[in-house]
Amino acid sequence: MTHLDDETLAQWALDDLEPSPEATGHLTTCADCRGRLDELRHLADLSHDLPHLEVPPPEVWERIAAELGHEDGATRTAEPLAQQPSAVVVRTNRRALVLAASIAAILGLGAGVLGTRLIDNSKDVATTQAAIKLEPLEGKSGDGTADLVRIGTGAELRVTASGLPAPRGFYEVWLINQDGKRMVSLGVLSPGTVGTYQIPADATGQGYRIVDISLEPDDGNPEHSHDSIIRGTLPT
Amino acid sequence: MSTTDAGDPSAADIAKGFADGREESLAEAYRRWSGLVYTLALRSVNDRGDAEEITQQVFVSAWRGRAGFDPETGTLGSWLVGVARHRIADHHAARTRHRRNVEAVIPAAAVSSGDEDRLVDRVVLADELDRLDDPRRTILKLAFYEDQTYSQIAEQLDLPLGTVKSHVRRGLLYLRTRLKEVTGDAS
Repeated sequence: MTHLDDETLAQWALDDLEPSPEATGHLTTCADCRGRLDELRHLADLSHDLPHLEVPPPEVWERIAAELGHEDGATRTAEPLAQQPSAVVVRTNRRALVLAASIAAILGLGAGVLGTRLIDNSKDVATTQAAIKLEPLEGKSGDGTADLVRIGTGAELRVTASGLPAPRGFYEVWLINQDGKRMVSLGVLSPGTVGTYQIPADATGQGYRIVDISLEPDDGNPEHSHDSIIRGTLPT
Repeated sequence: MSTTDAGDPSAADIAKGFADGREESLAEAYRRWSGLVYTLALRSVNDRGDAEEITQQVFVSAWRGRAGFDPETGTLGSWLVGVARHRIADHHAARTRHRRNVEAVIPAAAVSSGDEDRLVDRVVLADELDRLDDPRRTILKLAFYEDQTYSQIAEQLDLPLGTVKSHVRRGLLYLRTRLKEVTGDAS
């Protein structure tokens, strides 16, 4: 008899099946096939006892960067920027984007101060600039809302979601640039609550207009999972 | 068989940059493997603070000792797992010494190397499973984490039964290859 193929052995291991009489005869004489079957049985056994991966808190990376004296190391990983979750992926230089975001914040600050002066003592008054609905992507369920609110010199995005599938993992809110190249993570969203996220005042003017909620596995990977659930686009 | 995008650095690219001393490769290595290292430490020492400290030590000492890493002879993932195992063993040894000093009569909880091997294998498998492309990843998660039957999975994902079986079978064989690459042995 020829050797037993891996797929057959894998099926026996997974389903805890006894090999056919003919195969049993072969297995008693062939150490190679017997070894592979034992190995696959062990693997199938381990596979039904897998831990969920956990992510270390962000301070761990900051401590590593600090201990090694890597000045901008913390920025690189702590700044959770990822790529557009589409088939065409264009990677952006992270530092350039951080810089762009800082500039956006400064520009936004200037515009905000001017605006505040014009409307006098409205410094702490929240003004809703836009309110949009978040719609499910094809094949997904759930919906939500996103309000762009201007407060004094800054801006906030207030996000709600409902009817999302009960996840393994967590929901994350992203602001995606319409250039299709850049995105920024705003943070985690608990369904049923209002998530409030600070954003650069001029984010929409910079093209960051797509509000995206993704389901993220607990896998330690800070980038977008490519599993977007609901989405909407802020007006300019 | 990976969810890595064309724009992402491959494990081999990260390894080469790491060996060459590029700081951003350390950040990439951390993004790619910190979950694995942290989960391994957490499951072994059962304390978040200690696991965080071990994770920090692993990446710091791996970076400082990168001259000892040769991308030609092994993967960076495998090397980091090796460094993590040493750090975890050191931690257990220090705790045992401490306990002996404090209370000589209480025997230290022994952590056998067999248990540690099994733990490493399980965490590496979980990490590799997470990196599979869909639908294989979802199928394997339903089969392994939720113990769903082939027909339950087929119904839930609206896939033919044969397709589901084939994905689980081939997924297991793929995981065997990946595990060997990281631990040097699947058993």
